Amino acid sequence: MNNNQPDRHELFLIPEGMSKVSMTKDSKIPNAATFTILKEDHTLANLLRAQLLKNPKVLFAGYKIPHPLEHTFVLKIQTTFETNPLEVLLIEMQTIIRDIMDLNKKFQNQLTLHGLEGGEFGGSRMDF
Amino acid sequence: MNLGDAKGPQVTIRSIDHERKQLSFILWNCDLAVANALRRIMMAEVPTMAIDLVDIEQNSSVLVDEMLSHRLGLIPLTSTNIRDITYTRDCNCAEYCQNCSVVLTLNVRCDSDTNRDVTARDLISTNPNVTPYFSSEEDAGVVICKLRKGQEVRMRCIAKKGTSKEHAKWSPVAAVAFEYDPHNKLRHTTYWVETDALKEWPVGPNGAEEVAPGPDDPFDYKAKPEKFYFVVEGTGVMDPRDIVEKALMLVHAKVVFVVQDLQKLKW
Repeated sequence: MNNNQPDRHELFLIPEGMSKVSMTKDSKIPNAATFTILKEDHTLANLLRAQLLKNPKVLFAGYKIPHPLEHTFVLKIQTTFETNPLEVLLIEMQTIIRDIMDLNKKFQNQLTLHGLEGGEFGGSRMDF
Repeated sequence: MNLGDAKGPQVTIRSIDHERKQLSFILWNCDLAVANALRRIMMAEVPTMAIDLVDIEQNSSVLVDEMLSHRLGLIPLTSTNIRDITYTRDCNCAEYCQNCSVVLTLNVRCDSDTNRDVTARDLISTNPNVTPYFSSEEDAGVVICKLRKGQEVRMRCIAKKGTSKEHAKWSPVAAVAFEYDPHNKLRHTTYWVETDALKEWPVGPNGAEEVAPGPDDPFDYKAKPEKFYFVVEGTGVMDPRDIVEKALMLVHAKVVFVVQDLQKLKW
């Protein structure tokens, strides 16, 4: 192709040598950091932001997508002194995981209630 | 339904309409972000099969090659066994192979005096799990093009696994209806009005699920949306309950993937 169309794989593939998540500590504000997450969009970003804000130890949580053509977002977190951004982020992500697993179980139960077995996946398979 | 004693997000299925491929459910006691993530994933990240490459051997129809390939791409292909197929980008093969693609052939020539419709029924798949979708035996199939006497189309179509954030042809859903706060108590939307919003904007069917605010009720600025009304309407390539299920697992996988990397970091 001799045009400037971005490659289709740019949506998914993390460039070689890069890590999905990276963290930069804020040099001026204590207990604050910026996380850069590659190849993700509002779906995950807003989910994390909303979950973080429920935690009383989180003083600030916000995200932005720096450029519409780059599939990346940055998440800024500031916490109280009791903890640190990395720790709360991990804790809150575990909460999301638990909630989603729970929701999946409830969805399966609802299907049974409606006289339907779960789909062929039984709601536990992790390969798509 | 009592919102008070429930822990974590809850789901209630309202109806399943197999004929119209619709699944209607309520997600409640849950955050707007969770509901929206689920909606976005159902629409954009649940993988399906769709024709992605077309080798045209002969095309004397009135449609140009590009037009035909585009139309072929949009034909829904059954994707219930999608996990048996890998993404081409993850496959070891050079270009495409059995593990990451399905070849469909289209070979039609019109020899009669009447026009011949080329439809999805004429597509012959090499994999019985990945065939064009038909709603019933009588369904004539999507019309791809029409041929006059002497015209011919002969092509090899390579269907690949993909997600609709790359191209909408891979979307497993025709639509995902999503509503919350049917009475607009939270004022997340502003109605355009001539004179009276209540008269000009009738409440939808979900309005019965929630108590309408009285005309003099004060605005609760702390209120949060907590009930989300979904109607997932599939294209037929996948059962709607599979779409929801897979979307849930995809949200899960997404978070797990980031957690794994995050655990390597040190504060």
